[in-house]
Amino acid sequence: MSDTFDAGDVTLHRVKEHVWEIPQTGEMRVPARVLASEPLLEEIAGDKTLEQLQNTTHLPGIRKYAVCMPDGHQGYGFPVGGVAGIDATDGCISPGAVGYDINCGVRMVRTSLTYDDLQGRESELVEALFANVPSGLGGGGIHEGTVDDVEAILERGLEWALEESYAVPDDLEHCEDQGRRPEADASVISQKAKDRGKNQVGSLGSGNHFLEVQRVAEVFREEVAADFGLAEDQIVVLIHCGSRGLGHQVCTDFLRDIEQTHAGLLNQLPDKELAAAPAGSQLADEYYRAMCAAINFAWVNRQLITHRTRQVFEKVFDRDWEAMEMDLLYDVAHNIAKKEVHTVSEASETPRGAGEAGGGEERELFVHRKGATRAFPAGREEVPPAYRDVGQPIIIPGSMGTGSYVLRGGEHSLDETFGSTAHGAGRLMSRTQAKQKFWGEDVMDDLRDRQKVYVKAQSGATVAEEAPGVYKDVDEVVRVSDALGIGDTVAKTFPVCNIKG
Amino acid sequence: MTETGESATFALREHTADVAVEADATTLGGVFAAVADGMAAAMCDDVPASGDRHDVSVTAEGREALLFDYLDELIYERDVRSVLPVGNEARVSETAGGWQVAGTYRGVPLAEVDARDLKAVTYSEMDLSERATGWHAYVVFDV
Repeated sequence: MSDTFDAGDVTLHRVKEHVWEIPQTGEMRVPARVLASEPLLEEIAGDKTLEQLQNTTHLPGIRKYAVCMPDGHQGYGFPVGGVAGIDATDGCISPGAVGYDINCGVRMVRTSLTYDDLQGRESELVEALFANVPSGLGGGGIHEGTVDDVEAILERGLEWALEESYAVPDDLEHCEDQGRRPEADASVISQKAKDRGKNQVGSLGSGNHFLEVQRVAEVFREEVAADFGLAEDQIVVLIHCGSRGLGHQVCTDFLRDIEQTHAGLLNQLPDKELAAAPAGSQLADEYYRAMCAAINFAWVNRQLITHRTRQVFEKVFDRDWEAMEMDLLYDVAHNIAKKEVHTVSEASETPRGAGEAGGGEERELFVHRKGATRAFPAGREEVPPAYRDVGQPIIIPGSMGTGSYVLRGGEHSLDETFGSTAHGAGRLMSRTQAKQKFWGEDVMDDLRDRQKVYVKAQSGATVAEEAPGVYKDVDEVVRVSDALGIGDTVAKTFPVCNIKG
Repeated sequence: MTETGESATFALREHTADVAVEADATTLGGVFAAVADGMAAAMCDDVPASGDRHDVSVTAEGREALLFDYLDELIYERDVRSVLPVGNEARVSETAGGWQVAGTYRGVPLAEVDARDLKAVTYSEMDLSERATGWHAYVVFDV
């Protein structure tokens, strides 16, 4: 086993098993770390992920190191799977390091149904879900709203959904931040963004977003699974989508405003997409309030899809959703920057060979997670009371043919990753390559005939782009997360029905 | 060729997670329109001949910023009018305070096409440069 990994222009040094470091050189303010096994590292080194990760370390106020999760891959500006803790007092906040799809995230809804209850009704269920949950381009939303509705959603998040009977109190208690960021301010969001959002409240979109009915295939930690209400053969529903055009426009608007207002800072950065507003500046404050509002919008988006999914299950199974115990397990964000207090060790801020975290001072940070999941361990006050003694649920969707995972926040996540872990399998193949290699109809036929997975999509091309073969090995991603103690494996789920745009 | 006969080409390029468009044209406006046509191609493989033409006009402080804002405006038009902007035409000119693009597109109703979402234009790896044969552009879009 080598202590270094040669990735062309850059050499990574092994800190310990599954932890690789790019030493601080040149304009880098801190080192960069990649959490990966050697097979995953070889895939990560195959595109511009490492270059983008190094670029991230140029952001002012970045602490300890920039980190790439095991599912990391090339994004725009900031790599997907990237995490950066940036000082909220003397650092900055970067819209590009959050991403366009603010609070793109995932939620899991439990049911009391078993796989036996569903077998034989897969086609009926997938058709009903596809017909009732808006997806793709121009499909509208579940709530035909006004701009006033959009403003209420932006400011109040799931509290609005509760008032409109799209949610029950239990939904709020099992959502990150109870489904509402109190800093949200609709007044700093452009009319353009609100116009884009008002026809999309309660819609999946397309790309890698989906709604999937799954069965629990394997349980790894029985006690934690019981605390999460999971057991083998149980049917669950996983919903993956974000803040739609509203969130995309918020990122675009602030990227342009920051580019023009803070050109001096931008000129110090190696990639224009990393444009950042200095902490304490008016734009940093406005972006944070706008981002929080877009976060609320995304939570409502996923809640409305949950509401519609419950209605579909009621029709298909001819029972009330409450009788089927369709309760929210958890809802967690993948693209977000949040003010969080973390302990930042002095040692890790030194160059080359930075040591482990531990000791040091507590600092309030903007923790940027782009394609990464918060993974707080038991005891952390941000974890909802329902899970505070066991650790925060983490939901890691895999591909249509390999399954997904439920984890819980690991005890080492705060030291290693600012309380974060992976968010998915991570793409391996470009969309253009995928369409050359796979044909959507063939992928759907193969999944149904070989694995009993029923897929329905607006576009065959989307199915080809999201074929199981375009993703990394999610089992390996989760294995690394578990081995590092940043996310403990609880259960594995396998698809039964999948709808996408 | 554009719908007015100007020489312009685009191609979709590899990107691990997203999609990139590379375009060439003899004029600056031509390359803007070619990138916009590439963006439409990234969303839809088969475009029907239907749809009315709409105007689009954008100003910005520089040429790259103008290309970014022009593509963002087309994405906005797509979402609020529920049409796929295709057959793009664009003229770019320098103004006293910066740059302006005045263009038109044919808006194909989304209900008539099998199209996928494309979230946003990005600055990542953006290139807009004048070459011996005309203008060249490279733009990465978030999918």
